[in-house]
Amino acid sequence: MAHRNKKHRTIASDDLVMGFQIAPMIDVVFVIMLFFMVMAGAVKVERELKTTLPGIAPKVSNDDSPPDEIIVTVEETGIVTLNEEEFDTPESKSLPNFTGTLMRLKQEADNRSAKVMVTIQAEEQARYERVIDVLNSMAKAKISNVTFTVGGEEF
Amino acid sequence: MAGGGGGDGEPEFQIAPMIDVLLVLLIFFMSITSAQVLKIDKDIKLPVAADAKKKEDKNTMFEAALNVRWLSTKQESKIKLDDRELPNEEIVSILTDRKNNNPTYRVVIRGDRDVPAVEIQKVMALIAQSGIDDISFSALNNDS
Repeated sequence: MAHRNKKHRTIASDDLVMGFQIAPMIDVVFVIMLFFMVMAGAVKVERELKTTLPGIAPKVSNDDSPPDEIIVTVEETGIVTLNEEEFDTPESKSLPNFTGTLMRLKQEADNRSAKVMVTIQAEEQARYERVIDVLNSMAKAKISNVTFTVGGEEF
Repeated sequence: MAGGGGGDGEPEFQIAPMIDVLLVLLIFFMSITSAQVLKIDKDIKLPVAADAKKKEDKNTMFEAALNVRWLSTKQESKIKLDDRELPNEEIVSILTDRKNNNPTYRVVIRGDRDVPAVEIQKVMALIAQSGIDDISFSALNNDS
């Protein structure tokens, strides 16, 4: 009886020796690929909003025309004002009216070949996220000349 | 001939080119997911700025990252230069050295979205003290 069992096992192991199976490999590769495809949709790419500190940066030009100065304030509550005029709601992240006004001002300045200089006055406890929202609107309006003031000190 | 049939029988499904294509796709998706995600500090929730420019990888050798974490329980911020938490004076001296060695040296500010603006102002003051004028603010493309 024991001898018969042994013989049976030998035959079974002989049958198991097979070539490389391509079908399971494709299955696995498909699953891995689907995983990475789904992950790729939610990937967070780091982006940057460039600026220069004007106190140290060399003067770009010696134009006679003074730049158009725009003062933007960011309040603790999230209210954004442009030259003391309130724009959009504190909940509005994309700031459509504010961005539109900036784009219009930039367009006007470009037509007169003048420069636009924006000063962001953020209240001390204003959220950084809101400041980035404002900077994002500047990037959309292609305004790069940005100065910061927080709590009275200028940078 | 254009039909590819001919008289030699049915054309077989070719498994080898399919595996080649699959592997190429797999490598592509692997590279775009891993390379981008790993660089961002997990403790910092970056703000979202959809219109910000894509970061250029070629400049990463000549830039420092100032990570500003916000501890809401203690209501205080923690500033890290790259991965190291250093006193402010040391950060200024390191950045000054790097700026002296390379005039085009730049700093990326990675601030948490909940940080008060005054904390970012302090970081900008440190950068200004070290003589660096080229700075940028880090943000994410989406918030998913």
